[in-house]
Amino acid sequence: MSESTVNAQTNAHMSKGDVLMRVEDLQKSFGALQVTDHASFAVERGSITGLIGPNGAGKSTMFNLISGFYQPEGGSVEVNDADVTGMQPYEVAEHGLIRTFQTPRKVEGMTVREAMLVGPQNQPGESFFELFTAPSRVGEAERENLDRVEQVLEEFEIDHLATQPATDLSGGQMKLVELARAMLAKPDILLLDEPVAGVNPTLANKLADQIRRLNEAGTTFLIIEHDMDFIMNLADPIIVLDQGSVLTEGTPDDIRANERVIDAYLGGGGA
Amino acid sequence: MGQQAGRESEMSDRFDIGAYWEDFTPIERVLTAALGIVTLLLILFLGTGRLGPSYFLFLFGLGGMYALLSLGLNSQWGFTGLINFSVAAFFGIGAYGAALMTGSNSPIAGGFNPIFGLLIGLLLAGIIAVAIGIPTLRLRADYLAIATLGLAEVIRLFLQNERQWTNGSAGIRGIPSFFEGWPILGEFPRLMPGLEIGIIPGTAIVLETTFWRQLLNVSLMLVFLGAVFFILRRAQRSPWGRLQRTIRADEDLAKALGKNTYRYKMQAFVLGSLIMALAGVFYAHLNLFVNPGDLDPITTFYVWVAVILGGSGSNRGALLGGFVVVAIREGSRFANDIAFIPLDAAPLRLLLIGLLIVLVMRFRPQGLLPPQRELIWPSAVGNKAPSGPDKGVPQSDGGDPNE
Repeated sequence: MSESTVNAQTNAHMSKGDVLMRVEDLQKSFGALQVTDHASFAVERGSITGLIGPNGAGKSTMFNLISGFYQPEGGSVEVNDADVTGMQPYEVAEHGLIRTFQTPRKVEGMTVREAMLVGPQNQPGESFFELFTAPSRVGEAERENLDRVEQVLEEFEIDHLATQPATDLSGGQMKLVELARAMLAKPDILLLDEPVAGVNPTLANKLADQIRRLNEAGTTFLIIEHDMDFIMNLADPIIVLDQGSVLTEGTPDDIRANERVIDAYLGGGGA
Repeated sequence: MGQQAGRESEMSDRFDIGAYWEDFTPIERVLTAALGIVTLLLILFLGTGRLGPSYFLFLFGLGGMYALLSLGLNSQWGFTGLINFSVAAFFGIGAYGAALMTGSNSPIAGGFNPIFGLLIGLLLAGIIAVAIGIPTLRLRADYLAIATLGLAEVIRLFLQNERQWTNGSAGIRGIPSFFEGWPILGEFPRLMPGLEIGIIPGTAIVLETTFWRQLLNVSLMLVFLGAVFFILRRAQRSPWGRLQRTIRADEDLAKALGKNTYRYKMQAFVLGSLIMALAGVFYAHLNLFVNPGDLDPITTFYVWVAVILGGSGSNRGALLGGFVVVAIREGSRFANDIAFIPLDAAPLRLLLIGLLIVLVMRFRPQGLLPPQRELIWPSAVGNKAPSGPDKGVPQSDGGDPNE
């Protein structure tokens, strides 16, 4: 625990040093298996933070705990200085944290454009009563959102997909759509769960470019990824999870050189 | 086969009937033709006096009632993916709410204005929908299914056994027609003169008080149906409807995007239950008698058939499905008159409906009139719309997408 705090401090000079999200002593078990074991780390505002670790290290569980899909058994999660521990996913999202899933979620029977329109937050048309009491307000907001969707689709260079069925996309296109849609929610921090799993290298590069672009525009990222080249080139710092707790944290070069990380990946260290 | 031909829609002239026909998907053409044939048959049957006009209107009212029930279930299952096996119960709550307030032998109140009965029926259905939704809608979809399965029986048995409140299996009689006591409409059926129409020499059709009363009932049904259809259509094309469809496809996705899915599921569930109760209120004033037998699970089954047949998620489909189910159920009585079938078709109607479902699932799993392709708030799309209205959606895998 103290180690991660130290690392957070050493990294402080390279960004604004402002913590956007903090996980403190988080615990979760499934039966006898301690999946998250007193894990603590922080994500700095403006960073692209990588979260890596061998299979079963508890990365996805960590995402589920942070985003409110799982309830932790102990510890706390803070987003934007607010304690979001134990909140429902939609409440966590209200605090500026949006996540994606490892397997892209398909929205059956919608076009890409429609599926994207789910992204924007607090749409007046999401209130059943306003559909009848304020239809012009709903229409106005819908038009604005539609424009934003088209703009974002263009930025992601997938505007040609707008009227395709959302289920007829390749894995990579689906990841791009997911990222684009998540951005429509205007998150402060975006949690990406394996954004390039099953994505061809060309699209993966495109995704990396998009993530850098969005990061420069002010979005903080926390990214789980198994593709080492991808994550090492993109993220800094990188946090390594092993057996539910933070093994170490540092720059990509530190991580590459770290013996304990190599051990963990090679299945050493008491696995 | 369900794939729609990729036709570019030329929005040339909306009022040109030919252009409309051009715009139809193949299935829409088939259905339009079928509708024409059914209409012709009905005219034939009515004209020859085989089918009494009052009875026809009663059946038409029944069809509208099933269409209402289907729209209710569609807003739960079709929009949001909520599995409700209590259709008959919510229908019964509406029917009993109206009957207990207005019926002549009601053990509770009786004699109230039907509008009051309508409100009570809807209120009761709303309360029970919320009560069953609170514990189940936060859980996985199966819990609602199980809870509603139980609820249906609980409500039915309650109505059957709590005689001091519901008259038990004797039911409630003497329910007035909906417009009883209204200024003009209340007297309308009695004021209308008896008309005699002779289309074919030798057969005269007499239109009497019953006919005019049923005509009023059908008008009432059309008003209910029109209002509900309008509300659901607007809701479906809105961000609200889009959110419901997202929940149906993947609730976790909607949650991750910051949507309070519990609230939206509750709204859809209550909305659907209110529509079902409305159908029940209508039924009470159509049939003028309700008993616990009206809450038999078979009603729920018919409504599910109607929704699946029409196309889950499609309001037009639900409308169609509701009428088709009644047409099969009641039409099988007349089957012997149409063709020289060597056996009685009426007892086979369940088999027919079962067969229909098997055929639909095999050849057109998305239903006859699946939802429109893209549903965006109309005024927002403007001329950006890529396709004309009311086109079938090509489903990617052809199968029912859900669970």
